[in-house]
Amino acid sequence: MKVVTSWIVFSILCIIALTMLIPFLWMISTSLMSELEVYQFPPKFLPSTWKWSNFVEAMTMQPFGRFFLNTIIVALASVVGQLIFCSMAAYAFARLRFRWRDKIFALYLSTMMIPAIVTIIPAFLIINIFGWMNTYWALFTPTISSVWGIFLLRQFFQTIPKDLEDAARVDGASEFTIFWCIILPLSKPALATLAIFAFMGSWKDFLWPLIVTNRMDMRTVEVGIANFSSLYSTDWPHQMAAAVVVMLPVIIVFFIAQKYFVRGITLTGMKG
Amino acid sequence: MRWMLLLILIFLLLLFSLCSAQEKVQLRLVNWAGTDEIAIEERTVEAFERQHPDIDVLYEPNPGRQYEPKILTGLAADSPPDVFLLDSKLILTFTNKKVLLDLMPYVSKLQIDTSQWFPNVLNIARKGSALYAFPKGFTPLMIYYNKKLFRDAGIPYPTSDWTWDDYLRIAKMLTKDIDDDRVPDVYGTTFSNYYYNWIPWIWSAGGDVVSADGMKASGFLNSTKTEEVLQFLINLRIDYKVAPNVGTWVQESKTCALSALFANGKIAMNIDGHWRMPKYVKYMQEGLLDIGVAAFPKHPNGEKVNVMYQSGWCVPVNTKHPEKAVLLASFMAGEIACRIRSVGRLEIPANIKVAEEAVANDPTGMEKVFLDEVPYCRQPWGSIIERFSEIEWIFQDAVDEVMVNNKPMHETMTQYAKRADKALADIRSHEKFEFKPIKEHSEILYFLIAVGMITFFSSLFLYLRSKRKERKIMRTALSFLAPSLLHLVVFIFTPIVFAAYLSTHRWDIVVPDKPFIGIDNFSELFTDSTFWGALKNTFIYSLNVPIAMTISLIIALLLHRGLKGIGVLRTLYFLPSVTSFVAVALVWIWIYHPSFGAANFILSSVGLPPLQWLNSAQTAMISIMIFGIWLSLGYQIVIFLAGLQGIPEVLYEAALIDGANDWQKLKRITLPLLKPTTFFILVTSLIASFQVFTTVYIMTAGGPVRSTDVVVYHIYQSAWEQLRMGYAAAMSWVLFILIMIATWIQFKLMGKEVEYG
Repeated sequence: MKVVTSWIVFSILCIIALTMLIPFLWMISTSLMSELEVYQFPPKFLPSTWKWSNFVEAMTMQPFGRFFLNTIIVALASVVGQLIFCSMAAYAFARLRFRWRDKIFALYLSTMMIPAIVTIIPAFLIINIFGWMNTYWALFTPTISSVWGIFLLRQFFQTIPKDLEDAARVDGASEFTIFWCIILPLSKPALATLAIFAFMGSWKDFLWPLIVTNRMDMRTVEVGIANFSSLYSTDWPHQMAAAVVVMLPVIIVFFIAQKYFVRGITLTGMKG
Repeated sequence: MRWMLLLILIFLLLLFSLCSAQEKVQLRLVNWAGTDEIAIEERTVEAFERQHPDIDVLYEPNPGRQYEPKILTGLAADSPPDVFLLDSKLILTFTNKKVLLDLMPYVSKLQIDTSQWFPNVLNIARKGSALYAFPKGFTPLMIYYNKKLFRDAGIPYPTSDWTWDDYLRIAKMLTKDIDDDRVPDVYGTTFSNYYYNWIPWIWSAGGDVVSADGMKASGFLNSTKTEEVLQFLINLRIDYKVAPNVGTWVQESKTCALSALFANGKIAMNIDGHWRMPKYVKYMQEGLLDIGVAAFPKHPNGEKVNVMYQSGWCVPVNTKHPEKAVLLASFMAGEIACRIRSVGRLEIPANIKVAEEAVANDPTGMEKVFLDEVPYCRQPWGSIIERFSEIEWIFQDAVDEVMVNNKPMHETMTQYAKRADKALADIRSHEKFEFKPIKEHSEILYFLIAVGMITFFSSLFLYLRSKRKERKIMRTALSFLAPSLLHLVVFIFTPIVFAAYLSTHRWDIVVPDKPFIGIDNFSELFTDSTFWGALKNTFIYSLNVPIAMTISLIIALLLHRGLKGIGVLRTLYFLPSVTSFVAVALVWIWIYHPSFGAANFILSSVGLPPLQWLNSAQTAMISIMIFGIWLSLGYQIVIFLAGLQGIPEVLYEAALIDGANDWQKLKRITLPLLKPTTFFILVTSLIASFQVFTTVYIMTAGGPVRSTDVVVYHIYQSAWEQLRMGYAAAMSWVLFILIMIATWIQFKLMGKEVEYG
C-alpha cells in the first residue's frame, strides 16, 4: 500500500515537474531551428535539421564574451556583497538584543514595498552624480546588499538554538567570533539560498544595466539577449540560442549550491 | 558624508580632465535596433566618420523593449544623446515639452536640402515653422496576399481599384475547410481589435474616431459610418468566419500568429506594414512563399486614404554641439545612409531618390505598390494628440466588447466614446503648462546628503540615549548594521525620499523644472477610478499567494522525504525561474491561445467548452493567476526546502522513539519549526504579488478592458508612457502604505511567535 501511494505521489510530482520543462524544451528546440521553421504553423516541436551553427552565430553576432565577463563580475560582486552585508545585518536583527531593534527592522523591511519603477530614476541620478555611468560601480553597487536577503537570513538565524552561542559567550568569545565561527557555519543552506538568488537576480537584471550603460562593451548578457528583438520582429533562433548559453552558468551555480544544502543537513544534524 | 563629497569631487575632476583631453568632438547617436539593424547602422556611422574625420560618433543601439525609459532617464539626468531616433508618437510628446531642437535654423546654415524627403513624411515632425526631426523611413499599411492561394482558387490578383465587396467575396472564396471539421483550415483574411489595423478602413470609408480638432470622440466613434465599418470588420470574424480568432493583439504581437499563419499559407490576405518585408523576403528567396501587396480596397462612398507610421532623427536642445549634431542627424536621414540601410528592406526610405531606386531594384513589384500609396498617406492621430495610445486602448476595448462579448454596437460605442472624451479632456488638462527654464540637476545630491546626515545623527542619538550598560550591545549592533545601512542610504532611502518629494510635485521627467503642486496628485488619485480598479485587481491577484504556498509546501515536504532524485526534481521546479522570462511567457501565451492553445485542447478533451483565457475580461485575471502560481512554485519550494533542511534530524528520531506517526510529526515538529520560513515566504510573496508587473506587461498589457491592470503596471504607464512621475510617485506611496498595513497585520498574527521559534 505504502509503495503504491508513494508511486502515485512521485508520478504527480513528475507531471507537475514536466510542465516546468516545457518552456525550457521550447527554448532548446527553437534555438536549433532555422528562422523560417520557427514560424511554421502549426508550430513544430522538433527542428528538421539541428542547426548547431545558431549557437556560434548568436555568440559572435554581438560581443557576448564581453557581456559574459561583465555579468560575471557584477554577479560575483553582488553575491559576495550580499553574503557579507546581509548576514551581518541579519545577525544583528536575529541574535542581538538592542533597543529599537524591531523598529529599525520594520524600517528596513518597509523599503521593499516601494516599487522599483519609481526609485529607478533617483537611483540613476545618484549614479550619474557620482560619475559612474558606464562603470562596473554603477552595475553592481546597487545590488551588493538587499533587504530581502537580510530578511531571509534573519529568519534562519532565529532558528539556531541559543545554547551554543551562550556557551561560546561564557568562554569569552566576541560577538564577531560567534557570528563568524558559529552562526555562519550553521547557516549554510540559507547562505546557499541567498547566494543563488543574489546571483540570479543580477544575472537576469535587464532594465538597470540598460539604463546605466551607453556602450556595448559595458553591457550585460540580458541586454545582449534583448538585442535580438527589434521593435518589429524577433530573431527567435539566435535569441533562444543566446538565452540557453546565458542560462547555463545559473544552472551550474544552482547545482554547486545544492551540495551546500546537503552539507547543511549533516551539520545541523550533528549539533542537536 | 565627507568622504562621499570627496569622492564626488575626485570623480568630477576626473571627468573634467577627460573632457579637456579630447580633441575630436564626440557625438552620441542612439536608436533602437535588432542585431541585423545594428550591423547596417554601424556602416552608416562609418560612412559619416569618413566624411567628417573631426567628429567621433559613439553609436549606441538599444533593444526595442524599454527604449523609452532608456531615453527618458538620460534626459532626466541631463545627459541625453546628441542624436536619437524617435517615432512620430514620441516626437510629439518631446516637442510639446520643448525638449527637441528646432532644426530649421540649421537647414539653411548647413545647406540641408529638405526637398530630398517626401513632403508629407517631413510634415509629421513640423510644428508651425519649426522642424523637429529629419525623417528616416516610414510605412503605410498594406494588404499582403498569398499569390499561390489566389492562383489555386482561380481568382485574379487584387488591382488598385478593387472594392470592399470584392474584398469580402475573395475572403469568402479563399476560406476553406479542408478536413470537414467545420473549422476553416485556410482563412481568407484577418481581423483583430488592434487599432492600427482598422483605422485605415474607417478613414477610407470617410469616417473617423475623433473630431477634426481632436477634442472629442462622441459623435465620431459612435457615428453611423464608423459603426458600419466596424460591424463589417467584426462580421469577417463572427458572421462570415473568414478571419481566425488569434486572441488579443498583445497575444498576436508576441506570438506573431498572423504573420506565421500568412507565411504558411493558412491566411490568404493579411494587413501589415513594410516592417514585415525583411522576413518575407527571406521566405521568398527560399522559394517558400509567393506573395504580393495591394492597397486597401475602395469604399463606394469613400476616398483613397492610408495611414503612415514614421520615425526620424532628433537632436535635444541641450546638446553641447548643436551644429555638429544636426549635421549627423541630417546625414543619418540623408541619401547615403538611406541607401546603405535600404538593403535591410525594413521601411520605405524617407529619401525620395533612394525610395525610387528601391522600386527600380525590386523585381517583385511590391515596392512600387508601396510607393504609389505615399501621396495618400495621412498623419496618424498618435502624432497629433499626445498620449493617444491611451485613447487607442479605449477603442480597442470597445471593439473587443462587441466582438468577443457580443455587446450591442451603438450602446457600446457611445459608452466608450464618452470614456475617450473624458480621457482626452484629461490629457489636455496636463498638456498646457509653463515650466521655468532652470537647469538644475544636482538636487539629488542635497537629498543624499540630507538623508545621510539624518541616518547618521539618528544612529548617534540612539547610541547616546542608551543606558550605560546597553551601550556596548548598541555599539556592536550598529557596527553590524553599518554596511547595509550605508547601502540603504545611498540606493534606497534617498530614492524613496526623493519619490516622496516628487509626489507633491509635477515632474515630466524630460523637463528639469518640478513645480510644487501640493496635494493635487493625491486628490486626483482619489477620484481616479482606474487606479482603484487597478488596486482591486492587485488584491485579487495576490490571492494566488496562499494557493501557491500550499502547493509548494506539499511538494517541498514530499521532496524532503528523501525520494530518489530530489536534486533533479528540485532543479526542474526551479527551471522556470532560470529560463528566459520572454520564452516562458511566450509558451504560456501559446498555451492560452483561444484557437490553437493547449489549455482549450485539454478542456475539449474532457468535454468542457473552450474558454477565451487572456482574451476576455472574465477569465484574463484567472489565467494570469494560474501562471503566477506556476511560476512562483520554484522560488517557494527552494526556500521551503532550505528551511526543512534546517530542522534537526534528532527531533524526528526522538519522535520515532515516542511512536509518533507521520501526521503527528508534521503537526508537532515540522510545521512549528518551519514557521520562520513560512512567514518569510508569505511576506515576500505577498509583497511581490502586490508589485506584480512583468507578467502583466508582457502577457496582457493590462487588458482586456483593464481587467488585468494592476497597480505597478498602472504606475509604470503613468511614469514612462505619460511622463507623469509625480503622479506615479503618489500612487507608489498609496501602494506602499497598503503593503505596510498588510505586512504589519502579518507580523501581528505570526511574527511574535516566530521570535521564539
